[in-house]
Amino acid sequence: MSSSGGHDERRRAGMKSATAAGSHDVHRAPSRERAEPSAAFARYVEQEIEMLLRVARTLTGSWPDAEDLVQDTLVRAYRGISGFDGAHPRAWLLTILRNTNVNSRRRRRPDLLDGDGELDRHRPAFGATVAPSPEQTVTDRVLGDELQGAVDALDDRFRVVLLLIDVDDLTCREVADVLGIPVGTVLSRLSRARERIRVHMRTNPRAGRS
Amino acid sequence: MMVHPSRMWTCHWARRCVHRYLDADGSLPLTDREIRRLEAHLAICARCARTAEDYRRLRRALAEWSQRRAPDPAMVERMHATVRALVAGDAG
Repeated sequence: MSSSGGHDERRRAGMKSATAAGSHDVHRAPSRERAEPSAAFARYVEQEIEMLLRVARTLTGSWPDAEDLVQDTLVRAYRGISGFDGAHPRAWLLTILRNTNVNSRRRRRPDLLDGDGELDRHRPAFGATVAPSPEQTVTDRVLGDELQGAVDALDDRFRVVLLLIDVDDLTCREVADVLGIPVGTVLSRLSRARERIRVHMRTNPRAGRS
Repeated sequence: MMVHPSRMWTCHWARRCVHRYLDADGSLPLTDREIRRLEAHLAICARCARTAEDYRRLRRALAEWSQRRAPDPAMVERMHATVRALVAGDAG
């Protein structure tokens, strides 16, 4: 799966600014102090990249947007590494991801109202911009349209919590971090989402068989 | 069939706890006492046991989605390249 040319361009631009940010820090800190945060950054982040992409995909609804979001998150995390105490790196990264996503949506929102052309280019939530692979098509069929339909029919607030926990495998506390809501609210939304799907499965027994 | 109020209260409590029980979420663990109490209730309450089994099936089905929603390896590699570029920029 590859992203569009526009995204490639933005990605290159992001890389450039990321390198520039790094170069700026080089002039500020002595070499030994510089090396340690860099090593720590790589150590904290490398193992969480796939998780960040999955979560970003759930939050944004598309892989190209997820890639942009994670790219920006990595740059912000890198800039903030010196202020991070090393405790709970996953929670730290998820919080940065959340803030980056909120800022990004805030920036984008007015653009969506700029004429019909922009609206035409807007991707629907969960809309696939790339055709599914044959393997994915088979998997989709096996999982059943009913379950997919039931998940899609959930209110956004419930669906996102359900997907973050049951598909992206985050804990409730991690979901609380990434959504900026209390853990109790996460549990309540999870419970309601599962109950709605459960009722759907009861009335459509084929759903959920896999 | 009349259900004793204390049993109804236990069912209500069980429904609230069952997600944390099935998820074994390390960030919100049930106590040993809560687990024993919940398992004892599921052993005697067919309705709650059926609900718990439904939730198990749902979790299994959604866990399968994790595979088809895995990011493209090329995208993951691009993110690793970003990390390397950031670190390399710092090392100068």
